Amino acid sequence: MSCQLVVITNALLNNIMKDLYILVTVIVLFCSCKQEEVPKEWKLATVVQLEGINPIGITELDGKLWLSDGDHNRLVQINENGVIEKTIDSLDRPMHIDADKVSIFIPQYGKDNVAVFKNGTLEDLFLNDSLDAPAGVAVYRSERAIADFYNNRILFNNGKDWISFGEEGKKQGEFYYPTDVQITDSLIWVADAYNNRIQVFDKQGNFVQMMGQNQKMNAATGIYVSDNEVFITDFENDRVLIFDKDGNLRQTLRDEIEKPTDMIIIQETLYIINYRNGKLSSYILNPIDNSMS
Amino acid sequence: MKKTIIVTLVVGMMTMFSANAQKAMDKFMVQVDGLGCPFCAYGLEKKFKEFKGIKNVKIDIETGDFSFKYPAEKALTMEAVEKQVEKAGYTPVTSKIERANGEVEESKGAMLSDSSERTITKKMMVAGNCGMCEARISKAAKSVNGVSEISWNKDTKMMEVSFDTAATSLSQIEMAIAKAGHDTKKHKAKKGTYNELPACCHYERITK
Repeated sequence: MSCQLVVITNALLNNIMKDLYILVTVIVLFCSCKQEEVPKEWKLATVVQLEGINPIGITELDGKLWLSDGDHNRLVQINENGVIEKTIDSLDRPMHIDADKVSIFIPQYGKDNVAVFKNGTLEDLFLNDSLDAPAGVAVYRSERAIADFYNNRILFNNGKDWISFGEEGKKQGEFYYPTDVQITDSLIWVADAYNNRIQVFDKQGNFVQMMGQNQKMNAATGIYVSDNEVFITDFENDRVLIFDKDGNLRQTLRDEIEKPTDMIIIQETLYIINYRNGKLSSYILNPIDNSMS
Repeated sequence: MKKTIIVTLVVGMMTMFSANAQKAMDKFMVQVDGLGCPFCAYGLEKKFKEFKGIKNVKIDIETGDFSFKYPAEKALTMEAVEKQVEKAGYTPVTSKIERANGEVEESKGAMLSDSSERTITKKMMVAGNCGMCEARISKAAKSVNGVSEISWNKDTKMMEVSFDTAATSLSQIEMAIAKAGHDTKKHKAKKGTYNELPACCHYERITK
């Protein structure tokens, strides 16, 4: 009898040990899989020469790229080869544009307004305030933001009311000619161009964070914020700097970049527009190559 | 009937007056240098449009062709135009005025001197940021009699200048550059002149 009990106990213990072994193996495998996530960096993939376009802003509508061509007072929709498919003419120095699902928002620097292009027609965005050279506009759900260049401020609408924040200066929360803006879930990101930095605010206009101020940028003119990264164009130094959300510099892009003005990520491709040479440079994420180091 | 004739006469006179007023405009064409930054270039165009009486302001950023019309009765001089263009942040290279009465005035801008056996080449630091700075610095140096060659690198901030030692000195060239708004190690721009530079030209000032 006692012998039978020992056998049963041993069998049970064996089964438990077996289950434990499987469980531990699965956990180890899971952990090692997570550890093997390869670090990646942005690498140049393609370059498209845009004929007769000096792009300043870029956005996407219905899967198509739209560029603002300030020198020629127009917006152009281009295909993957950079060929113009559609044009919106008669604008006055359109700058950093943005789009929602149905409309393109166009800050007109020379006309002191924001035009909205929808269903083939242009209308003015109604404002109870006067702008002086709007250089950038941002759209996020029902929220809107405008970089008001000569007034050194940001106008923000939470879907209901407009607020204004910022004034000329170099201290935190002050601007020296803001040129671009982007709204995310809880924050407003500003390209504080001639203070050569990025400033971040909450949606009440309170200062939250500053980044890039030690990178010796020369005209931080265009900004784009993705889920994990913050991109800024360093116009005069022919660079795009990439920060994490805490402001740590992750990467500097230089390949095929000359007087960059704006960028956007669409389906894991980073598109960068270059004002002076009229090039559209696209970058994709690749595993970091450590063989050279 | 009488009323209709009077109204027609008044409208006719107003149309004629308006047509004459439109005709009596001088046309100004200025070739400007250093329009590298669209934010400043468009901004300056915008500010120029706000001057009272000015019409048809056009700037071609790629070629640097800047033109506008201004009432002939104001008799705006070449010097005043160039000063105004400089005040707006641009650097005029050549200028031309087509007066409403058909007269044409031209200004060819500063020319470099010929080099001689007394010509030497020196390097010095000049503070600046961008293409607009480069144009302004170069013009200021060129305006000094005896300067035969000049180049400035915006990345290193170093200027290389060749000049006739019998005609001028490095200090005089530095003074001309400082007067235009750009610091050198020995001569600083006046605060007011620096403040009037466009935003993109607000370089980090040289401190001793």
